[in-house]
Amino acid sequence: MSRHALRTRHQDDDAPTLVIAVDRGSLRLAPDDDSWGGAGFLTQLRVLSGRSLRTAFSDYRLVFFGLLQPVVILLLFSQVFAGIGDMPGVVAYDGYINYLMPATLVMIAMTTAMGSGAALLSEIYTGWVGRLRTMPINLVAVLAARTVSDAVRLIVQLVVASAAGVYVLGFEPGGLAGLAGAIAVAVAIGWGLSWLFIAIATWQSKPELMQAASFVVMFPLMFSSSAYVPLEAMPTWIRVLSTVNPLTYAIDATRALAVGMPVGGALVAALALAGVTAVLGGTLATRAFRAG
Amino acid sequence: MRAAQIEVTSLGKRYGQVTALDDVSLRVGPGSVLGVLGHNGAGKTTLIDILTTRIRPTSGTATVCGWDVVRFGEHVRRQIGVTSQFAAVDESMTGRRNLLLFARLLGAKRRQAKARADELLATFGLTEAANRKVATYSGGMRRRLDLAVSLLGKPKVLFLDEPTTGLDPVSRTELWRSVAGLAAAGTTVVLTTQYLEEADTLADEVMVLAMGSIVAQGSPAELKAGIGSRTATVTVSPTDAERARDALLRAGMRVRSHDHALSVALAAATDVPALVRALDHAGIAIIDLTITEPSLDDVYLALHAGGGA
Repeated sequence: MSRHALRTRHQDDDAPTLVIAVDRGSLRLAPDDDSWGGAGFLTQLRVLSGRSLRTAFSDYRLVFFGLLQPVVILLLFSQVFAGIGDMPGVVAYDGYINYLMPATLVMIAMTTAMGSGAALLSEIYTGWVGRLRTMPINLVAVLAARTVSDAVRLIVQLVVASAAGVYVLGFEPGGLAGLAGAIAVAVAIGWGLSWLFIAIATWQSKPELMQAASFVVMFPLMFSSSAYVPLEAMPTWIRVLSTVNPLTYAIDATRALAVGMPVGGALVAALALAGVTAVLGGTLATRAFRAG
Repeated sequence: MRAAQIEVTSLGKRYGQVTALDDVSLRVGPGSVLGVLGHNGAGKTTLIDILTTRIRPTSGTATVCGWDVVRFGEHVRRQIGVTSQFAAVDESMTGRRNLLLFARLLGAKRRQAKARADELLATFGLTEAANRKVATYSGGMRRRLDLAVSLLGKPKVLFLDEPTTGLDPVSRTELWRSVAGLAAAGTTVVLTTQYLEEADTLADEVMVLAMGSIVAQGSPAELKAGIGSRTATVTVSPTDAERARDALLRAGMRVRSHDHALSVALAAATDVPALVRALDHAGIAIIDLTITEPSLDDVYLALHAGGGA
């Protein structure tokens, strides 16, 4: 092959100089056979997760407000609804904060999961995902990386919120192991739900629609559960609804673990919820994502 | 003849009632540059999306490097590099980090990735800006980084979707030189553009798309021959206008006059010196002389006129 050299020089000596010398000896822009054919699944998962995490923590303002948000909600709810603490079914917890805090962990998990869907959608819009789709990159790794990095972010959020609960609002967990268990359950649920919201994101066409739809799903689920008010205090139809609301079991499990009460079947139900949402969301998301 | 790097037969894409691409066929040989010319919505991006395995066609077939884009997408993705209309790089990271990230995803070892990143940064004049966040980059720098990313895997076929839209003239010329250099080195290039000039400069073969269909196909020279020509606009003093017109007509040129500016259709390369000579002989001073290339609109107009529309 003949040697081709193209040079541009601007009159201004400080201006950037672009030199493309296409020659196998110097710069090998030419196609050849030792090109890389794509890393393995785990490497891609690790690299993409690391990138998402770096992006998430690159703007300190975003990190600050992201961590502050649940603390503010916790503060408001614990003060405004303090009277609930005297209700039967809550009084045993010795203060509304002990009843509220575990439910808040689950709520944070749910909000973060919604964020996974929104983040994926915005990366579809910026063309980032589009570029990955033209490369030898496993699409499951792209989706899984989103859930993994958001799960890591969720752990940080839950630890900060718990610390704020303990040191600022007087939350008294049953023990460190119990609290860690509660956080682990919340992370599992958040991870499962993030697959579900990612599936929704791959099926949606508009970010606004995604947000509106998530809102409509999230609030009824939160309020028709045992999150804020004991079931005994609710109208019968909501109480019936709450028995089929998977979040009730997730919150019951988190709460029992956090305050050191027997957890029983709720833990199994919570982990099953995490598993089912992950498998269902993962299947739907991968199918929609592959079809293009 | 060597096997085509891209072979497309009767390719079509429909979204419900909307036809985005209709019965498109083409062949691109190794190391050649195909320019896909068309306005927004002409189907350029749809064609690129199908060839780069992002969307599936609803009819027809397409192969890239011999691999069917639907059935062997994984193989196609190993052979191609893609630069889209909007630079798809991570703004929160530095230029070097972006390159390292994609190199690692492609399967490079750390040291290989670093060497390749440095090489590409140098090639595209980004060494100094390498450790700055992409958010601080200019439009031209971003495009160059984007192009660098798409070259990491040493692709055999490079797809560039409107690579110079929104770039300043200097950045555009630099990008053109890069593309020409890559093609000279044997990379097959498919590039979409709205600018006839760009297709003319870079492409060996041009395809004009309108509303999803091919309306013209051929070499840039053939295409330009079909649409007529470049135009020279001569400005003379108002008192000379009449004489200038007569002089040019005598020289056998097609002249249209508006006020003291004369438009001359240029048929051959020698027409410009002939024009200057004719006016000089008549003793007429040329105040201004500009030469304009036909635009994409001229192509469309000519094609519609030719098709009897």
